[in-house]
Amino acid sequence: MIRLFKVKEKQREAAENNNGRAPVKKQSPGELRLNKDISELNLPQTTKISFPNGKDELMNFEVSIRPDEGYYRSGKFEFTFQVSPTYPHEAPKVKCKTKVYHPNIDLEGNVCLNILREDWKPVLNINTVIYGLNYLFTHPNHEDPLNHEAAAVLRDNPKTFEANVRRAMSGGYVGNNTFSRCIY
Amino acid sequence: MAETKTKYDRQIRIWGEQGQTALEKASICLLNCGPTGSEALKNLVLGGVGSITIIDGSKVEEGDLGNNFMVDESSIGQSKAKCVCAFLQELNDAVKAKFVEESPEALIEMNPSFFSQFTLVIATQLKEPSMLKLDKICRQADVMLVVARSYGLTGLVRISLKEHTVIESKPDHFLDDLRLNNPWPELKRFAESIDLSTTDPVVHKHIPYVIILVKMAEEWANAHNGSLPSTREEKREFKDLLKSKKIALDEDNYKEAIDASFKISASRGISSNLRKIIDDSSAEVDSASSDFWVMVAALKEFILNEGDGEAPLEGAIPDMTSSTEFYVNLQKIYQAKAEEDFLAVERRVRDILKRVGRDPASISKGNIKSFCRNARKLMVCRYRSIEDEFNSPTLSELQKYLTDEDYSIAVGFYILLRAVDRFATNYNRFPGLFDGAVDEDISRLKTIAVGILSDLGCNGSTLTDDLINEMHRFGGAELHTVAAVIGGIASQEVIKLITKQFIPMSGTFIFNAIDHKSQLLGL
Amino acid sequence: MANPDFESNARWRDLDKLLLRPGNLVNENFEPGPQLRSDLQEYARVLVVGAGGLGCELLKDFALSGFRNLEVIDMDRIEVTNLNRQFLFRLQDVGRPKAEVAAQRVMERVSGVNIVPHFCRIEDKEVEFYNDFNIIALGLDSIEARSYINAVACSFLEYDSEDNPIQETMKPMVDGGTEGFKGHARVIMPGVTPCFECTIWLFPPQVKFPLCTLAETPRTAAHCIEYAHLIKWDEVNSGKAFDADDPEHMQWIYSEATKRAELFGIPGVTYSLTQGVVKNIIPAIASTNAIISAACALEALKLATGCSKTLSNYLTYNGLEGLHTKVTEFFKDKDCLVCGPGVLLELDTSITLQKFIELVEEHPKLLLAKASVTHRGKNLYMQAPPVLEEMTRSNLNLPLYDLMDKTPKDVIHITGMVSKNDKKTSCLRKLRVVFKGVDVVTEMDTAGGA
Repeated sequence: MIRLFKVKEKQREAAENNNGRAPVKKQSPGELRLNKDISELNLPQTTKISFPNGKDELMNFEVSIRPDEGYYRSGKFEFTFQVSPTYPHEAPKVKCKTKVYHPNIDLEGNVCLNILREDWKPVLNINTVIYGLNYLFTHPNHEDPLNHEAAAVLRDNPKTFEANVRRAMSGGYVGNNTFSRCIY
Repeated sequence: MAETKTKYDRQIRIWGEQGQTALEKASICLLNCGPTGSEALKNLVLGGVGSITIIDGSKVEEGDLGNNFMVDESSIGQSKAKCVCAFLQELNDAVKAKFVEESPEALIEMNPSFFSQFTLVIATQLKEPSMLKLDKICRQADVMLVVARSYGLTGLVRISLKEHTVIESKPDHFLDDLRLNNPWPELKRFAESIDLSTTDPVVHKHIPYVIILVKMAEEWANAHNGSLPSTREEKREFKDLLKSKKIALDEDNYKEAIDASFKISASRGISSNLRKIIDDSSAEVDSASSDFWVMVAALKEFILNEGDGEAPLEGAIPDMTSSTEFYVNLQKIYQAKAEEDFLAVERRVRDILKRVGRDPASISKGNIKSFCRNARKLMVCRYRSIEDEFNSPTLSELQKYLTDEDYSIAVGFYILLRAVDRFATNYNRFPGLFDGAVDEDISRLKTIAVGILSDLGCNGSTLTDDLINEMHRFGGAELHTVAAVIGGIASQEVIKLITKQFIPMSGTFIFNAIDHKSQLLGL
Repeated sequence: MANPDFESNARWRDLDKLLLRPGNLVNENFEPGPQLRSDLQEYARVLVVGAGGLGCELLKDFALSGFRNLEVIDMDRIEVTNLNRQFLFRLQDVGRPKAEVAAQRVMERVSGVNIVPHFCRIEDKEVEFYNDFNIIALGLDSIEARSYINAVACSFLEYDSEDNPIQETMKPMVDGGTEGFKGHARVIMPGVTPCFECTIWLFPPQVKFPLCTLAETPRTAAHCIEYAHLIKWDEVNSGKAFDADDPEHMQWIYSEATKRAELFGIPGVTYSLTQGVVKNIIPAIASTNAIISAACALEALKLATGCSKTLSNYLTYNGLEGLHTKVTEFFKDKDCLVCGPGVLLELDTSITLQKFIELVEEHPKLLLAKASVTHRGKNLYMQAPPVLEEMTRSNLNLPLYDLMDKTPKDVIHITGMVSKNDKKTSCLRKLRVVFKGVDVVTEMDTAGGA
């Protein structure tokens, strides 16, 4: 039991006289865990990370991936990460900002990566997600498509697929869709 | 009315339109509208029960303001039933709210036929003699009875009625009805049309696990003289066999098949619970039988004939990794079989109705369909009369409770809740109602409690002094929070009884507000 | 000084049986008597977080359990779908702030009780606002909000030099939650019983469908609805944010989901299901809310007065199949970053961040190599990635005391590698740092700050 109401009352008065404590910036458990993930990042050569809001605001950040092999080599793809205060209970929200012709990424930037949705577990971390994203570029897969047409082309005609990817990355049309250049 | 539907949206998601309609048709009588009764009714009025009638002969006193939210300062001196009724009416104008300013004890004594107009009676804070009489009255009139009592940091809730039958018991976890080891011809044919060794990786990873298991179970049986994996070793072997059929790491359908592989060993035929129901003497139906038992009789015939030992197929399948096409086709195959089984049961229901001299159309198609869909989950709850329990409790259970540490406080309160009523009969007040004469009250209470125990056949058993002291300390107090818990539980049970959905509690629930180790006692 | 005569005792006829009489099955500190009731009335200050299904009940339960100083915080306005259980609200209240209406209704009916409503988000209040209460009662439906309040309440907790929690700094919480016929009630005594974060695994993460299932192989009505909600909406209404409370938006999702279901031959898309899936609606009924809230309020009364033993520490209620209640005693995680004591370190004000990092590597209780250091949301040093390492490198030569704004004692967090059975694992630790020779007002070491 508390049995301390009176003590509390006195404390409260004292605190008011002392102006209380300094205002405290709160850090959620999710933020602490994210800090840990970030401080332990071990990024592949292909990947850069940046923190648009400075070194103390890590909950929203950007990742750019420049694949060095496969269909997407030398393209540059930007992702945004949004991490909630209940991380790692909830997976980070990841979107692809660069419009890409990819069987597992749709034209709105939604990414079909199991660990971002149905297979997310709190033991996973930001590093795992970044490796997962890299894997999508080296191993696009037509079996779990988000972009149906791209998947069909990859399955039926890999050569055409490769040409389409190149065209899209250089800022051309594939079908009715126009892409911006992402090869530098 | 769209607004009404919106208002009840969050509960219609639980008990459906049908459950809501049942609530809206129900007429509830409450005896005594202290906080326990008021809180129970509040929850039912909010949910949109059809009508309520409050019976209470007392006037509001100042002490009522300290534990009952339904009365306020302006109520003092007025009829409590009237004040509570007015507040409850304010909560929901769709409910017909009435009150009778009369003591429940007097009404039970003088006008027993009064109760036959109700669907259900909630008796709160009623002492033992009146409760026993009311139980008889309600059983005779086929009115459901829920008893709720709050007393200091304890209380009880119990249901009393002859029989309650449930079709939609909606259990949380129940094995799906997939018939993996006993596929009917259409399912078998569909399974045969799918080639597990397809080389198309997209097709391979989208074959539903149901098909994988039907086929693999058959393959196994063919290689094992018709038997399925039964030993632990065989089950592991079967899982390894499934694993060996994977052609890629990320095949979720095979993962699901491995996780669900135990389902192929599910025993054929019906559960012991269902066996008990179809073998019940009520399944020998006549013109007075309820719809439920008529349908059980039809179900029994079905199981012996078309069903070949099985209940009608449920027809629903869980979501599983699959292509849309395979899944939708599979769903159709299960639904078609369920429909076929339903038609067979329906024919039998109509025949039986004719046989017993009832209108063959008197049970609706919808009800029979729902019955078939839930056939494996039927529930029959029967309750002993309170008098029976008091006169001849299940002694072995009682003795077990008295010696089991987990039950000792609960069974102590069970005895003491009866003891305070005897005390009140003897001395016209509850023990500890007033300050003073503490030792005398406590020793009287103890004597009565020991007397009850020996009446029950537990000679030599006793209760701890701490618990007896505690019961004395309560002095008959009706604390608001305890009343809200007891009233809340009572209203939840009422909803289950009226909607005929979910499974109502059995036995007597003894609330232990000291450390919350409450118990259900089956005596 | 409380005046026991300021209202008639007759009103507390029932409660007084519990508060005025001695008993044996009570808390060891129970001091029955009229003074206890008047102290409860005068000094106990309770915050109810949430004025929904649980919050309405909690306010009523507290008001009728002798508490008089209540506050309630909720950012929502009343909706029609609340009316089947939130009994303080009427149809004509729809659109008004829940906290304000709830406070007003309870004050109208229970004289003497004072309820201050706060119509705002819980994050809008200064942390100190929460320190003003003796007990915090949580009537919430989200993990995020629970986690936030828990972290705030635990931030007031202080430990002595032996790592024992200091009773005066504990901010007890009672927490309830319901879903249909099921619910839980728990007591959180920070530093003694597990806090919300110690047992966050009790709340399973929400099931999320794979996007490719939605796009390619929908099978259920929910798949069609989520397709319309998560994929189709952005595709068609590029840039326009989806608002689940806008009926036109919901109607659009419903009609798109219906079209998709027809295309694939999938049954079962209804408007009601669409709302349920998109808003993740948890069904709720009055009775369960009443049971769970009353159990919470009763535990709060026990915490405040000691009039009985307390729930230790987690009660589950299930009325679905019969009636099952169960009490489970969970244990706290001694290394919990939110409620745990952390490791106490006494430091010289002159120690640089670099030296400090070396120190935690050699400290026998830590042995933590390659530490990154965070103080109240400020990253003092980050070992990785290079971009952050560069931005924080210049701090290494500065005194830690200065980097912590010359705070004499405070909590900092470090992450790095520790060796366990010859295996390196990464680890995040909480430290209570005290600087020697700096004037500290009290003897207490703060443990908060998570």
